[in-house]
Amino acid sequence: MAPQLKAFKRENGKWGLRNHVLILPLHSALASTARAIADTSNGAVGISHDWSGEVDSDLARIVFTLSGFASNPNNYAVVFLTIGNSQEDEIITTAQALGLIRFSTISLSEVGSMEKMASEALTAANTYCAEAQAMQRVDAPMSAIVLGLECGGSDALSGITANPALGVASDRLVELGATSVLGETTEILGAEHLLAARAIDPEVGKRIVAMVARYESSINYEGIDIRGAQPSRGNIEGGLSTLEEKSLGAAKKAGNAPLTGALEFGEKPAAPGLYFMDTPGHDIEQLAGFGAGHINVVVFTSGRGTPTGSAIMPTIKVSTNTPMYKSIPDLIDLDAGTIADGIETLAQVGERIFNEILDVANGRLTKAERGGHHEFALSRMYKTIVR
Amino acid sequence: MSIQGFSHGNRGVGIRNHQLILPSVVCSTHVARRIALTVDGVTFAHQHGCGIIGEDVAGIDNFFIDLADHPNVNSVLIVGLGCETIQGQELAAKLLARNESTKYQIIQESGGVEGTVAGGVESAQELSAQFVPAHSEVPTLRVGIDIARDISFTDELVNVLQESGFETVISNSDSSSAQSFSHLAREKCHLIISFPDSMQPASGFPLIPVINVAGRSPLHQAIRADFDSDEESLLATVVDLIRLVAAGTQTVAEKNKSGEIRAPRSVRSV
Repeated sequence: MAPQLKAFKRENGKWGLRNHVLILPLHSALASTARAIADTSNGAVGISHDWSGEVDSDLARIVFTLSGFASNPNNYAVVFLTIGNSQEDEIITTAQALGLIRFSTISLSEVGSMEKMASEALTAANTYCAEAQAMQRVDAPMSAIVLGLECGGSDALSGITANPALGVASDRLVELGATSVLGETTEILGAEHLLAARAIDPEVGKRIVAMVARYESSINYEGIDIRGAQPSRGNIEGGLSTLEEKSLGAAKKAGNAPLTGALEFGEKPAAPGLYFMDTPGHDIEQLAGFGAGHINVVVFTSGRGTPTGSAIMPTIKVSTNTPMYKSIPDLIDLDAGTIADGIETLAQVGERIFNEILDVANGRLTKAERGGHHEFALSRMYKTIVR
Repeated sequence: MSIQGFSHGNRGVGIRNHQLILPSVVCSTHVARRIALTVDGVTFAHQHGCGIIGEDVAGIDNFFIDLADHPNVNSVLIVGLGCETIQGQELAAKLLARNESTKYQIIQESGGVEGTVAGGVESAQELSAQFVPAHSEVPTLRVGIDIARDISFTDELVNVLQESGFETVISNSDSSSAQSFSHLAREKCHLIISFPDSMQPASGFPLIPVINVAGRSPLHQAIRADFDSDEESLLATVVDLIRLVAAGTQTVAEKNKSGEIRAPRSVRSV
């Protein structure tokens, strides 16, 4: 029997697994106001970032990230906070082109002060919240699920327990017609040939290898060898020896399905299937890229544990080892350490992760959602300031 | 005429008595915010502390050390995750070498989020109880001047401030004032006078009162309520305004809790 899925259908045919009202500041000076509005609203979410409208080499990447994040189908509506400049207009029109349907723009120069902005944005947000809460989920196809695969704080068990178990769940979803996206270019360095070999055509494989090479040279031009900087200190303490060992384990999140395509940072997958997205390993920058790429649910495996969540995407945390699961119970949704302890098989844990993804897709809140974790970070390629 | 402030040990005498709840990594910013809201501390969101390489590791570490060592800071609680590049305990050890009013709380060692919030609140309250600052005269008030647009009276302004016994530090920025604020914070300025770019709004900085001066641009005129002063009246009133703010009157940016920090980064995240 096919699994049951109910989701929020958008007017443009896209599917949301959540029905968020997002307060999105388009200037860093408005970020604390955005969070305060979200806190006092009837259920809206808000994010912070440190971009002040700078027009520099990273502008296109930032416009793409913020407009993609705004247009994610998990958003019922967006309240943009702006100061009133052309970069902001570009973000909003790009978001509309990417599928954003309902939004209000509260412009600081029109309302006259931050105080008035806060009260007007709160009114707009609460109106949307009432509409969003009245909306019903309807029967949805499995293709409504766009899953993001992430790992952070990896340890020696990551590649043996949680990651391959997530691969089992990912394979099953892809087989049922869903989309699954593997991120973190840092964490496939040294394993890219294995992914490329699974590509549906040689061009996709070449793109993945080229993306990894491009990534490595973007670090190397600074005179730094990424293969010496990874694995991180936390990874080494967790028992990982080399970047290649970390990568071989990290790639297991993507199971064994054929690889349909390679996506740029924040790019939307065009059709169901398994994809790779070029993102940093930095967990929060990666989550922002996933949100921009219209991923609507994330599974995050961890050996060390993290509170991380997203304002708009439910993020399911899976521990690689049982002691960590037991030590920080309010951060982790599922334990895959049972595989190492011989209590469960890989297939059994894969089944549990699959069921959890479906339950969460149908509306069950993750621990990060219940805790209100809305971390956000903009991914930049270039220098900010050096003094 | 003396300015009364708060004696903050090795950090100097400040004009604010802020407790800094410092997340050592982006992953702990939300937990830090929960603690800060409970204890009325100051915190900020940032996206650093992990996935950083090369000179950024020391760069971010030193930036946090400088913020924690600012004279407006009474005490510091570091909130870390546990597996990040900028390790909370190590940062705490560096801060403790200069200021004993420092504690840390690590999420992965505190039983998770709720345990970290509970432990962090307790530690922050202990710090506040233990380090009650004596009122003390500010030896020399350091005033940062952020110039992000063309100002015709910079020399006159500096003269007026220096004649009143204030030290001045000028920072020129290309467009956004956030970069200047980080620089002026590291220069240990007690307060900042900001002339934002004509296309930029008034903004603030978490630890430092910022006096925003409006220009004649349509944006600044439209949001005059977010500014503390304007170019026409500044020179005649700036000394009184500084004395008021130094004595505790909140600037508009402080009331609005406006402004995010901008940390220096040389290399992309990995």
